Amino acid sequence: MAVATEHVGRTRAPPIFSLSNAARIVEMVIGGLLLISIMSIVLKFDVRDPRLWAGYGPSFIRGFWGTLGYIALILPISVGVGFAAGWARVSGHRMLAWPAGAFVDFFRGVPPIVVILFAFLFGVDFIPLRVQLFLKDVFSTSSNSLPFTLAAFAVAFHSGAYQAEIFRAGFQSISRGQVEAAEALGMRHFQTMRSIILPQTVRLSLPPLGNEFAVLIKDTSLLGALGATELVGLSQEFTAQIPISGGQIVWAFAIWSSVALTYFVMTFLVTRLLRLIERRFRTPGLDVMSL
Amino acid sequence: MIRTEDIHKHFGALHVLRGITLEVTRGDVLVIIGPSGSGKSTFLRCINLLVRPDEGRVFIDGVQVNRADIRPEWVRQQVGMVFQSFNLFTHLTALENVALGPIRVKKAPRDEAETKARQLLARVGLAAKEQSYPAELSGGQQQRVAIARALAMDPKAMLFDEPTSALDPEYIREVLDVMANLAHEGMTMIVVTHEMGFASSVASRIVFMDGGIILEEGRPLDIFEHPKHERTRAFVSKILR
Repeated sequence: MAVATEHVGRTRAPPIFSLSNAARIVEMVIGGLLLISIMSIVLKFDVRDPRLWAGYGPSFIRGFWGTLGYIALILPISVGVGFAAGWARVSGHRMLAWPAGAFVDFFRGVPPIVVILFAFLFGVDFIPLRVQLFLKDVFSTSSNSLPFTLAAFAVAFHSGAYQAEIFRAGFQSISRGQVEAAEALGMRHFQTMRSIILPQTVRLSLPPLGNEFAVLIKDTSLLGALGATELVGLSQEFTAQIPISGGQIVWAFAIWSSVALTYFVMTFLVTRLLRLIERRFRTPGLDVMSL
Repeated sequence: MIRTEDIHKHFGALHVLRGITLEVTRGDVLVIIGPSGSGKSTFLRCINLLVRPDEGRVFIDGVQVNRADIRPEWVRQQVGMVFQSFNLFTHLTALENVALGPIRVKKAPRDEAETKARQLLARVGLAAKEQSYPAELSGGQQQRVAIARALAMDPKAMLFDEPTSALDPEYIREVLDVMANLAHEGMTMIVVTHEMGFASSVASRIVFMDGGIILEEGRPLDIFEHPKHERTRAFVSKILR
């Protein structure tokens, strides 16, 4: 019994980063590159054309980092907003539940590009100067001015609305009986929330959250429509200049294949990471919603 | 030990409890029987304030506890409760279920709480199951973990709300045995149950509730063999059949 301190006998958890997953990604990247080369033969152009990569390469890299930056900004905000709104909806306080419900209905019911445009064009007008300065300090860089930051917030809120529903479902699937049992032990509301409701909500929410994250990553490309520094926008810009700069139109094939492959790898990584976390914390009786 | 005076409870237009006055002394095992909807479960919940009585007073060890200046959380620490549907915490192992209350509520050190939880699980015959999750346990095992979980708080008394009603017949015995042992060790208990075997052999007193009032009260033999009220007689004959 001396060793039996904690977690003894729990089902063995797989490591978060497994070799087979890394191998899968390498396979797919090689497959993608192979496909591009084959298609370049069919479309009769040289995929290794230095003029193409000398021109597009910097755009791609700048766009890729820009996209990563937007994901890094949007993902945590969307989770925070979604979690808070989901919690508010089940809080039982009408003053919290009603605004959260209106928030979800609005962002779910309006196309994200429309919300993004509004935020980009008019967002600044609605924000007090002091908040503007704060947002500029925290989020804005030389290539990412305040309107773009606000547009990114719009993407985060759009996804947050969907995540709110995911968390709400998670909260509501915890039986009233468990809450009553926690109360009967003398736990306070906050303790019940922390020890009983939250851990189960998070576990139940992981599979649908992975789904939503994949959508969110691709939705950052909407910012490209405004001219933000991100992968789709810069690729679009470069493609539009091909005829003027004396390039070949078929280059577009290589360009957009690279873009597609990049998004594919990012979403694949994130969804697999979540699935591995999910497996690691698998608990009998709590895996009903596994995808 | 536990005393209630003229407890009333309404749920909307429904007058569920119509003045329950009762006293349970230390070491007593009080069994409450009665048809469904008679207010038995609501009355149990009034004792640990999971349901707040609209009128009347609840005393534990001579202290009135349904007062604004006494936190209900404190009251619930004094009295353990076991539910019909077990209500174990799904995401915790049997051991963690039992140790959680002392750790969170009493701020006990984790190793101390776990040592005690192991002893309690052994006491309900589940030493081998400490690392199992509720979904991996049978109904009878889950209910025994739930009893251990309530005992971990060192309650002065235990409330049981139809602890065997949700169990398959083959598991009822093991839960009743644990409860009988508890009673023999001197635990003060209030038990809502329809297990007449348990009631007649373990109960010190039986209360028959109907329509939100106590219709009849007495020793098991009196209630089962010589009920005074026609309704008691009808109910007893129905469940003894």
